[in-house]
Order: sequence, then C-alpha cells, then structure tokens
Amino acid sequence: MNERIIVGSIGGAFGVHGEIRLKSFCAEPEAIADYTPLYTDDGRSFAQLILTGGLKGGFTARLDGVISKEDADALRNNKLFADRSQMPSLPDDEYYYTDLIGLDVLDTGGEKLGTVKNVMDHGAGDLLEIQTPNSSETVLVPFTQVAVPTVDLKARRIIVDPPEGLF
Amino acid sequence: MARSVWKGPFVDAYVLKKAEAARESGRNEVIKIWSRRSTILPQFVGLTFGVYNGKKHIPVLVSEEMIGQKFGEYSPTRTYYGHAADKKAKRK
Repeated sequence: MNERIIVGSIGGAFGVHGEIRLKSFCAEPEAIADYTPLYTDDGRSFAQLILTGGLKGGFTARLDGVISKEDADALRNNKLFADRSQMPSLPDDEYYYTDLIGLDVLDTGGEKLGTVKNVMDHGAGDLLEIQTPNSSETVLVPFTQVAVPTVDLKARRIIVDPPEGLF
Repeated sequence: MARSVWKGPFVDAYVLKKAEAARESGRNEVIKIWSRRSTILPQFVGLTFGVYNGKKHIPVLVSEEMIGQKFGEYSPTRTYYGHAADKKAKRK
C-alpha cells in the first residue's frame, strides 16, 4: 500500500501576503484540507492548510509557515502528498483507487492475468484497467460482484471472472 | 431539434439482434458494438456491451438509470487519467 498519496499541487503565489494557488485532485476538492499534514516532493511538511477562497479550477489557500509571496513562489509546481492513514476507512465493497492500483489479477483457476494499472469511471460503473504481461495492451474489466468476486487487499490480489470476450 | 416521438428511439438493428441473442443464450459475455449512436433501451438492462471508442471496446454494464441515453456517452474517445488521490470505487 502506498504510504503517501498525491492529493494536490501548488500553482504559485496568490497575492502578496503568502497565499498560494492550490489545485486539488480529491474526489471532493475541499477534502484536501482534511488530510493534513501535507508533504511536498522536497520533504517539507505543513501541519495546516486553510482554504481561503475559490479560483477557476482550484482554490486559494494558506499553508502554515508560508507568510510571504517569496515563500509561496518557492513552492510553485510542488506536488502535495498526504499519508494514506489520514483517509477515512470505507464500508465493504468500497475501495480507494490507490489501494486497487498495483494489485495482482488472477483468474478463478489461480492463473495470473496481469496487474491493475488504473481504475476509471466513465459513468457506467467503475472499470479496472488490467495490464497484461508480455503485452502493451490493457484490458478493461467492470468492477462488479460478478466480474470481480474477490478483492484481497492484504494478499494484494484480486480474482476476476470476466465476461467472455474480454481476455 | 428533438427527435419526433412517433418514430421511437433510434437503435441500429444489429444491436437489437445481438442483444436479443445474448439474452436468449443467457451467457455472461460482452456484446461488441460499434454503434455509439444507438439509444439504450429497457431490454438492455443487465447486459454488458463493449462500446467501441475508435480504439477499443469499453465495457458498459447497462443499468436502469442509463435508459434513454446513447451508448457513446459511456465510452469516451479521449484518454484522461488524472490522479487517484482519494477517489473511491464501489463494487456493484
């Protein structure tokens, strides 16, 4: 399981009083403020993030310890990471994308079919994008009880029973 | 201008044929279609279609709330990955 997960990025300074432009990658963009402490690529950590306003495609925000435009500009293009443990636990049959990505994919006979490369949702339910070995092609499998009967996060594997015609 | 009601929803004939055959066989299979313009009808609920996006067939499990939409709406033609962050997947 990834220890730190990317949740946003800093665009640069907003104004001259140390505010930053922030882009959130969270499902609910405001939730980024709940995942403190946040870390940057270069190892700095921020215990507090306060959203101060909205911008097109993002927010203005204050980070603790960032008090001048120069401080804010120095953070330009930095990614923000949060600890995986900060994210709330989910009910059964609900999983974070980040937990599913990288899992081994086995068929019902125990043969390895590949690994989960990505999870996506185009409006008709979630899809697992599976990278098959020895091929650059990927296969999409619907994330349903029928097609994916077992998800074992501890063993880092899922068992799929895909509909005919996918693999 | 909206489509006239008297015509009924548009569906390519081969999609209807394939869906009917899949329903009768009762097998769990992906019905490969190229017709993104076809309307999703009530008799398609529960079937999985592979809707072509110009490159590959995207699996679309039809549910009740999708009735009346077009297949193409669920099979994007452009790739955008984005970041996983705290996004959640629910197993239906």
